[in-house]
Amino acid sequence: MATDHIDTRLLEELTEQSQDLNSDAVRITTGALGDFTEVSQEQRQSRRWWQRGGAVAGVAGAAAVLTQLRATAATSSNDVMALQTAASIENLAISVYRTAAGLPFIKDGNKTIAAFIAKTTTQHQAHAKAFNAAATQAGGKAQTAPDAKYAAVVQKALPKIKTPADVVQLAITLEDVAAQTYAKNVAQVSSTQLRRLFASVAPVEAQHRATLLAVQALLAGSLGDLVAIPTNAAKLPSAAGSVGFPAAFYPTRSASPITEGAVK
Amino acid sequence: MTATRDEWDLPISEAQLTRLTRDMEAAHRETLPVMRAGAVDLAAEIRDRAAVGDGGPRNAGRRRFLIGAGAAATALALAACSGKDTSSAKSSATPSGSASAASSPYTGDLKVVALAVALENQAVGAYQAALGAAKAGKLGTVPPAVATFVTTAMAQHTDHAKAWNAVLTGAGKSAITGVPLSNQAATTAALGKAASVGDVAKLALELEDQAAQTYLFATYNVTSAAGIATAASIAPVEAMHAAILNFVLGQYPVPDDFLPTDKAANPALLTV
Repeated sequence: MATDHIDTRLLEELTEQSQDLNSDAVRITTGALGDFTEVSQEQRQSRRWWQRGGAVAGVAGAAAVLTQLRATAATSSNDVMALQTAASIENLAISVYRTAAGLPFIKDGNKTIAAFIAKTTTQHQAHAKAFNAAATQAGGKAQTAPDAKYAAVVQKALPKIKTPADVVQLAITLEDVAAQTYAKNVAQVSSTQLRRLFASVAPVEAQHRATLLAVQALLAGSLGDLVAIPTNAAKLPSAAGSVGFPAAFYPTRSASPITEGAVK
Repeated sequence: MTATRDEWDLPISEAQLTRLTRDMEAAHRETLPVMRAGAVDLAAEIRDRAAVGDGGPRNAGRRRFLIGAGAAATALALAACSGKDTSSAKSSATPSGSASAASSPYTGDLKVVALAVALENQAVGAYQAALGAAKAGKLGTVPPAVATFVTTAMAQHTDHAKAWNAVLTGAGKSAITGVPLSNQAATTAALGKAASVGDVAKLALELEDQAAQTYLFATYNVTSAAGIATAASIAPVEAMHAAILNFVLGQYPVPDDFLPTDKAANPALLTV
């Protein structure tokens, strides 16, 4: 087995780098407090029953990511393109969820589905903000447009949307594209901060998809009354326990290429 | 058509259930070859690193980078993981655990891989124990969805453990078949006290959150590209398990805007 020997020169270099990072971190953390306060106020103002318990962690998570972003220095144009593409996917998701929220059968339908749409919209807004913050800090432009490829898919699907199940199906598609893209981006970007950013968002999109898959199964089984928080776990069909996570490893074959939503 | 299972009417047909199950299994199987390839890549990278150690001056720069990255990862691991985990490790670690960890064969990225296997084995063991308790009637009536959740999640954790163990054996290390974690005794004790499905679900949620967050932590603390990709492909799945558990427990399924790391396992929990 190979034995590692300590390289004292390297150690000195690392120590110096560490001191520089510490100085930067103090400055960055001070700046991030402003963002933290802003996010906290927004969260407090829109706090609802479904946010209990998770809000504090959510704000802390957002603040941590924003803090990280202040320290992010995307070092390649590929990083910027990946961030812009991610923002474009988020922009599209926000647009779709906002449109869905206004549909009569959502607005006046199942309250839990409506609440999920509202909360998920705010989460995608936080993601878009984080991706664009990282892109602009790296010297790129913020992406304010939706992903063109999937915007076309949405445009084609919208006229056919007549029921909550149709909305759920479209949302599942978008959440899956987002999760697959970010899971792949984790191994594509060049800095640890960006890896952390993509890796902290991909599981959240996957959770949106898991929830929507469960909701889809319940709606398909005419069990819309079980789409509730709290639900009646005893009445959930067997399939509801597994339909939310169809694969042991999250696939990336449908991930969007990093250029797909890049600002031209 | 409705079918009856355990005195409860399934509100979907056998055909629908069979189709859903078949689709799920197909999707699951589709991912396995990719994961095996990823495990082979990761093992090759680690073997390559071992070779770099004998590579002489030409490879010195790269070797230094790897050592530096490993040192940084270790420092971050110690600094970033939660205080709760640290105190837990201190309070329950055995002297032998500390001694063995000090001379661990699993170093650098392989330490994170070993931690991943241990966490997966811990989850598999917990779900097995839950099934045993359910069969013994200790948990009361088990909802069909919870039973399906446990068996499916357990199978996925088994696949995760196999993938990570393939990396260890590919790098010439021993596979980990047990749960060499200093918090295992506490986990086993908590499972033993579980008296309801809710108790088990809460404990399972803790394990799923811990796993998802540990993989998130791994994505920016391991140096191997294949290791990063593997962690990035498993973290979302553990998070999906957590989402369904939250739903079953009557809690909001997506509580965080960004996955945090406050519940990530500290590598110091590892006792090998």
